[in-house]
Amino acid sequence: MKNPAHLLPSTRREFLQYGARGIGLLAFSRFAPGFLVESAHAQAPAPEKDRSILVLVQLAGGNDGLNTVVPYADPNYRRLRPTLGLPEKDLLKLNDSLALNAGCAAMHGLFQDGKLGIVQNVGYPNPNRSHFRSTEIWETGSDSNEFLPTGWLGRFFDNACPGTPQGGDPCGVNISNEVPQSFLSAHQHPTFSLAAGRNRRQQSENLALLEQMVQSPAGHDDHDNTGYLRHTMMDALVTEKKFQKVLANYQTKAAYPGTPFAGSLRNVAALIAAGTATRVYYVSLGGFDTHNNQLNTHANLLKTLAEGLAAFQSDLEAKKLDSQVLTMTFSEFGRRPSENESRGTDHGTAAPLFVMGSRLKPGLHGTAPKLDVAHNQDLTYSTDFRAVYSTVLDQWLGCKSGAILGQNYQPLGFI
Amino acid sequence: MGQPANTLNPTEAWQPLPATEWNEAAARHLLQRIGFSATPTELARVLADGPAKSVERYFARMPALPKPRQIADLETDGPELYRNMAGGSPEARRMAQQAARERSREALFDLTIKWLQLASRPENSPAEKWLLFLSDVWVVGADKVKNSALIYQHQDYIRKFALGTAPNLAKLMSRSPAMIVYLDLQQSKPEAPNENFARELFELFTLGEGHYTENDIKQAARAFTGYRQRQGEFAFVQRQHDNGRKTVFGQSGNFTGDDVINLVFKQKAAGTFLPRQMVSFYLSEAPLPAEQTDALGAWWAGEGYDLRKLAVKFFTSRVFFAPAYRDGYIKSPIQFYLGLVQDLGLSVAPLPRQLIGSLRSMGQMPFDPPNVRGWVGGRSWINSATLSARRQLIQALLSPLNEDALNGDEQIEIAAAYADGISNFTLDQARLAEWAKLPPADRARELVKRYVPDLAGTELERQVSTFLERSAQHSQAAAATRAALATLLESPNYQLC
Repeated sequence: MKNPAHLLPSTRREFLQYGARGIGLLAFSRFAPGFLVESAHAQAPAPEKDRSILVLVQLAGGNDGLNTVVPYADPNYRRLRPTLGLPEKDLLKLNDSLALNAGCAAMHGLFQDGKLGIVQNVGYPNPNRSHFRSTEIWETGSDSNEFLPTGWLGRFFDNACPGTPQGGDPCGVNISNEVPQSFLSAHQHPTFSLAAGRNRRQQSENLALLEQMVQSPAGHDDHDNTGYLRHTMMDALVTEKKFQKVLANYQTKAAYPGTPFAGSLRNVAALIAAGTATRVYYVSLGGFDTHNNQLNTHANLLKTLAEGLAAFQSDLEAKKLDSQVLTMTFSEFGRRPSENESRGTDHGTAAPLFVMGSRLKPGLHGTAPKLDVAHNQDLTYSTDFRAVYSTVLDQWLGCKSGAILGQNYQPLGFI
Repeated sequence: MGQPANTLNPTEAWQPLPATEWNEAAARHLLQRIGFSATPTELARVLADGPAKSVERYFARMPALPKPRQIADLETDGPELYRNMAGGSPEARRMAQQAARERSREALFDLTIKWLQLASRPENSPAEKWLLFLSDVWVVGADKVKNSALIYQHQDYIRKFALGTAPNLAKLMSRSPAMIVYLDLQQSKPEAPNENFARELFELFTLGEGHYTENDIKQAARAFTGYRQRQGEFAFVQRQHDNGRKTVFGQSGNFTGDDVINLVFKQKAAGTFLPRQMVSFYLSEAPLPAEQTDALGAWWAGEGYDLRKLAVKFFTSRVFFAPAYRDGYIKSPIQFYLGLVQDLGLSVAPLPRQLIGSLRSMGQMPFDPPNVRGWVGGRSWINSATLSARRQLIQALLSPLNEDALNGDEQIEIAAAYADGISNFTLDQARLAEWAKLPPADRARELVKRYVPDLAGTELERQVSTFLERSAQHSQAAAATRAALATLLESPNYQLC
């Protein structure tokens, strides 16, 4: 028996060598049964340290687009938002018709510095107003009436992460309580979940025995869930040891605010700075389901978002990593243009999303929504969210989007 | 998925388990699924009584949860807290809001501990898990409701009808002040009906997607206008109610909210919806064959949607005990925690900071599900972050309580518990010392048999033995035993039931 202190390999390569005595653990992530999936391979390059990285920020709950990027000069805005309409003097102007919510001050700075792009009025045909279904549509990249078993990023992993990734790093890292549906793939890929906020170091004396136990093919192996737990645990043990070291030793001068969201972005920066081969990070910020008294709640959420993003960008710049990273937000839907009777807004359709980075075409992209809608009528989207995905896939991640999205979309100009 | 499907026909599926198939493994399955663990005492009793008598006993009545002190105080002080929030300077109002939020949060912690204590008693576990199940259907979240007295009341409402009928429960739920706040009925009025409650009533509480139209929602929303809560009491405000004619599910009339609920329970989908939720909460992530749930749904509708009868039928049925559903279900964090408490012979510690922090990082903050859908469950419980939290919890329960690290309030709580003779908040170290006297191979066998019986006699038991042998030479047998026990509890097998 080896010395137990050395039983736990610290890299996947080491693990795979160690595990060569018949354990054969190559699968780590959630996966959909292969027969459900027809995956065309786009032959995208495998992850390497100097490759482009995508950081996806989910605004969970449905962000109110009209009070985020505000069409302050349009009289319809005042008509639709008699009490929620934001006074012009409080807004951060982008041009003579649009302005950002005051909560977005930090993002307004990025906009002026040419590091922030806004894709306007993004949505999809026949919108669904259920949080769950619409989130699913966004995460799988499906049509409104189509149910896909895999996520759009999972299909990217299928195409871009053949075999074992370099250095044993996960294809995707999510900092959220659940593995995002976006990561669901046809083939198995390592993905890793970190708790939100800053991580505490934890110590465990029995890691070595646990390691054995996870590898030991005993008990109810006929149950899928046993295999699933085994794989998740092994993946967690190997990656956890490596990542904890990275996060604990991370040095930064960037002024991250004290929010868990900013803490999560700080951890993303730490992993990127450590040269992790991961190309996709997913961070979630919740609370956008603002059905009543939304003015302060919404402004505070946007402030959390803006200040977190700005600190993250400045951290990347200080480390000269900014040219490698594109950050993008999304939300399952926007909210209804007409405010409700509770000084809030109900589930709606299209909304703007943000892209941030040093190598993008800043400014406004797409067209602003037409506000000449009747009371309680919804906005009609003008940019399909899959056109945004296809732009990111083709022009940023370097992976042919047709194979991922099932069809080709006209690229948008933001990269 | 990869599991063998059950091949029972729809009639056989819901027949009682034949006596010839009743044995210790079946009894263990029953206890772990309807409750949180199979303690030796309950296992012996259930094995002797058989499934029908046992399930009838567990579902005879709902245990009572007396109003926790801080919830009662919050109710008493509520009017004053509201007054403070309404008047004074903006700064004073902000301070008052913060104070009210803090009070509510502490009351929620008190409620959480009291509920976990109640649920941790093995004789209560099945009924309290049933309550957790129904709360995971009729979801409200403390984060949005912001008043923990309403959260307690909501659970108490469910308790009232948990063994009654589903339509009665639904009607009471539509009157629950917490629900009225959570799904925005409070502001819903004829000229602006808020659709949130009506939508979730159909989609997530009673029917499921695909069994209603957008127009049904719009019309039903009008029927629920005028539902209000006033200082924690339901109030129906006639002048805010839309008395007009509505058309829901093809029927027209001057419907009230109760009328809409009656119409809901005339839909075929109402019979199968809750049974399908039971399957995913208790049995399997994969749904049962539709013919089986259809058969149960039709039977249940014929029984007037009696919830107690449904529970008894379900938990004594052949399909519930089918081999396809044994041992492979992932424990929720609450089950994982309460199962540990029961398996290790512990009491729930009155330490909200530690306990609630642990449940939150495992992904299940009691009374505060992520959204109106409740917890998704199954594999979504398991990722590297939640696994790490599960490991941390085990380490905490196996090590002596570090009282010096507690803050003042916590020390008072612990001292009060000691005064009541309750001190078993972590594993009894004397028990570890007793185990440590056994030879390594016997010790390994004992630990495996007790905590992960499905691994008895396997290669893994030998590995545990080897691990214990190595430490025996260093006269650290108790510490090694603790580490081995921790590892067994962290193993994939212990995460399943």
